[in-house]
Amino acid sequence: MRYGYYPGCSLEGISVEYDESMRRLFERLEVTIEDLPDWICCGTLAAPSLSPLLGLATPLWNVARAKREGYDRLIAPCSACLYHFKHAAKRVAENAALRAEVEAVLEMPLAAPPPIIHPLELLAADAFEPRIRGSVQRDLSDLKVVCYYGCHISRPAAVMQFDDPENPQSMDRLLSWVGVQVLDWPGKVDCCGAHFSMIKPGIVVDLCARLFEAALEAGADAIVVACPMCHANLDTRQDEIAAKLSWPLRMPVLYFSQVLGYAMGLPAERLGFQRHIVDPVPLMVAKCQQRMKDEG
Amino acid sequence: MAFRHEIEALSGHAARVNLCFQCSKCSAGCPLADKMDLQPAQVMHSIRLGREEAVLNSRAIWLCLGCETCSARCPQQVEPAAAMNAARIIALRRGIKPSVKEIGVYYRGFVDNMRLNGKIHDASVAGITQLLTGQLIESLPLAWKLVVRGRVKPPPLPLGGGRFRRLYNNVLAKEKGH
Ligand code: SF4
Ligand code: SF4
Repeated sequence: MRYGYYPGCSLEGISVEYDESMRRLFERLEVTIEDLPDWICCGTLAAPSLSPLLGLATPLWNVARAKREGYDRLIAPCSACLYHFKHAAKRVAENAALRAEVEAVLEMPLAAPPPIIHPLELLAADAFEPRIRGSVQRDLSDLKVVCYYGCHISRPAAVMQFDDPENPQSMDRLLSWVGVQVLDWPGKVDCCGAHFSMIKPGIVVDLCARLFEAALEAGADAIVVACPMCHANLDTRQDEIAAKLSWPLRMPVLYFSQVLGYAMGLPAERLGFQRHIVDPVPLMVAKCQQRMKDEG
Repeated sequence: MAFRHEIEALSGHAARVNLCFQCSKCSAGCPLADKMDLQPAQVMHSIRLGREEAVLNSRAIWLCLGCETCSARCPQQVEPAAAMNAARIIALRRGIKPSVKEIGVYYRGFVDNMRLNGKIHDASVAGITQLLTGQLIESLPLAWKLVVRGRVKPPPLPLGGGRFRRLYNNVLAKEKGH
């Protein structure tokens, strides 16, 4: 299997630690990924809002490029990029005339492109379970987390065709394989406000406040995410959220790739823990030490 | 073309407006319904009634985050999110200013930034949007925290945008031809 990797713009900027930890995790699991050459931005909601054709051609440029490279799968760790790829690919797969129009704009063929997947889809498959369980080196069984999937990993089901759109389980499974206590909670697929952090931060604060309330209610030490926007919104605005809720709030927000990598013994700096606004190191160290003390 | 048909065509027939039976499940699940002037179910009904002005001038179409909760839960597979997107395109084509100004500024600035390098430089897009919408000062303390943590890269030289500009020009040529 050849895996193409599309990091996307956020993973080269505000979410660089997601990229770092994702790459370290793939190395640790001996999964070879190839960076998609010359990739362009997926266009998010901006390109389709300006022109429907631009909104299809922009993400599909990368899909056509992945096909030309001969990848069997294209991995997209940002769930917004993932959604725009899959949505556009579905539209042209269902409409040959539209596909011809987009191909003319791209100057590349689009027939039978490789499936586009989130890294969760790859790693939470049964085939990886023994390898992931067998790689654990740190005992994190005292760590209690909630898994936050956000909008697009499995929604809408007709487009994403992965996991359950209302109660997804893939991240819960993965984290339980490395021994973390995964709690159930009602916030799994609620929206964090996405790109509104740059435009209408008040809306993001409102939406994220509801998520933290639910996570605290469930008894979580941390929230684990699988999308750069979810992370940015939850990690960077806790002071404002605390002011809104009028109680102190400092809850680490980690990418699933960071938690897996940490459980597999990778050092915190290699996973980008030092880049967070809410430092997760004290929590992670305390949880590991507690266990060692209990055993010692 | 009737407004409803225009919305349906632009959404690639994902927004099947006439199938909506006004159960309002979309409004119930929408994270921004309480901030919208027309809630998603009302947008759908307004489209069917041909209340073009009301829809195109609404704040709702610009507040829509594209989270797809509405489309995922609609028992009729109507896809209100696709209708919202189509309405944004029509509004811009008719020269109607986005009623939530910041969002129009952001979308435009985003695509302009893509033209420089094919990819966006997230900090530039955020900075320019915040400058143009008068929010720059408030955002500086957070920006600084991100800089010291290595989460803001210096803007790249605008050398890599050729492939995107080519695609963009092809799109423009095609749309003019229509
Ligand atoms: S959920 Fe679907 S059928 Fe119900 S009001 Fe919304 S669009 Fe109409
Ligand atoms: S896609 Fe838009 S209208 Fe639909 S639930 Fe999300 S924010 Fe509301």
